[in-house]
Amino acid sequence: MIGRLRSLQLVALVLLGLSASLSVPSATAAEGEVTLESIVNNTIIGHAEDGYYLNFKPFAQVELPRIMLVRTADGALTVEAYGSTKSLLKDGPYGFVPEGGEDGAAELITAPAALSDAISAKEHLYGSVARTSGHVVVDFSISRHLIFGLLAMLIVLGMFIALAQRYKKEHDRPEAPEGIFQNMMEVLVVFVRDEIAKPNIPDGKWATFLPYLLTAFFFILVANILGLVPFAGAATSNIAITGVMAIMTFGIVILYASTDYYKELLTGPPDAPVLIRIILVPIEIIGLVMRHLALAIRLFANMMGGSLIIFSLLGLVFMMNVIMGEAAAWSTTVISIGFTVFILLLKLLVAFIQAYVFTILSALFIGMAVEEHHHDGEEEGEPEAAAPGGRPAERLDAVEDQIEQRVQPTTA
Amino acid sequence: MDPAALAYLAAGLGAGISAVGAAIGIGRLASSSMDGAARQPEAAGDIRGLMIVSAGLIEGVALFALIICLLLVLFV
Repeated sequence: MIGRLRSLQLVALVLLGLSASLSVPSATAAEGEVTLESIVNNTIIGHAEDGYYLNFKPFAQVELPRIMLVRTADGALTVEAYGSTKSLLKDGPYGFVPEGGEDGAAELITAPAALSDAISAKEHLYGSVARTSGHVVVDFSISRHLIFGLLAMLIVLGMFIALAQRYKKEHDRPEAPEGIFQNMMEVLVVFVRDEIAKPNIPDGKWATFLPYLLTAFFFILVANILGLVPFAGAATSNIAITGVMAIMTFGIVILYASTDYYKELLTGPPDAPVLIRIILVPIEIIGLVMRHLALAIRLFANMMGGSLIIFSLLGLVFMMNVIMGEAAAWSTTVISIGFTVFILLLKLLVAFIQAYVFTILSALFIGMAVEEHHHDGEEEGEPEAAAPGGRPAERLDAVEDQIEQRVQPTTA
Repeated sequence: MDPAALAYLAAGLGAGISAVGAAIGIGRLASSSMDGAARQPEAAGDIRGLMIVSAGLIEGVALFALIICLLLVLFV
């Protein structure tokens, strides 16, 4: 009973925190008017997108350090580091470009009075910054998604280093798995090995790639689930992170691909006419790149889309407040909270599915690349060689050929 | 006509049409995998795995379209 009460309290606290974390418009209402645009740009897109702050509203809003590699006006390369966007704007030679102003220099705010106005209205969190003299070469600033990506990495590392201590010998463990933690993780690891790696990577080469597949699976899973935690965010809803993961799969494909795969990729299928090869080779190469690009975009768009839907549904309450008044907003609350709970549960499912899909597609691409083709092209001259391996129909043909060759001399 | 307005219109129409395409694809996929699973219940596990992978691929195509719509809205 007490346990149930406590879990109810926890749920209430989490719900409270979630709804409170979205109350940006009411907080800024004290500063000035709340417009539809500020709700869409700051609350909905600002929460779903990457940013240079950690949002613990209503408790705190922690700004993250900004690190810039800049080329100054006299052409020198330097690294500049500031504690936060606020101190960057106050102390550094930087101007502020508000959200929505993409025209660059025309909208640059540099006057100290206007800057402190923007900072007090928290606008500096949503806009971008630009240098007043010289330009920023690379922005190395620590962003929210980087923090949660590193957190996901630490969680995975901590989990599996602790777990690995229990498996002293290779492919063996001293006793049966103990406790919820080890049992749950072993089920997932065995699932990745038996359902993802083994069926998709042929010729027993799966063992080489299993560490990468496991790493990708658990990192994506933990990062996705972090995206469902209030105040946190999903590192996988950043195209840079999913892009790097897709590049890793691409790199493995390029490095470990068999010579057969390269031959087929660069010269076309073995028995195709030359004209068809000329058409097929570019298609194959573009397809190779697009497959991995789609790998990155699929994960990114799924996670980004999920959080955008949640914030849009909750943002509907605040939009109704602006458009139709308080009563309409209260009645919208019921509907949008209901839909949000549904979408959150769906996102929990999607977190697992996307980790599975990324890993199984990586395994599939790697498997396609490392597969050796048993030299189909060279077999035509000598049918005996086709007998071992090969598909059943081919094997049957080879056996029939052999029988014919043996039978014919005796009958003749 | 205002180009920005046209971009918003295109983004809205594009999102709707890509949703229709993805719905047709995933609907056909689900119906035929259910047929398969009903006909051969012992293969239901394999069919489920294949279904999720192909649904992911179909979804990927639809999400490409959605990204383009998002770009249209955000960077007009």
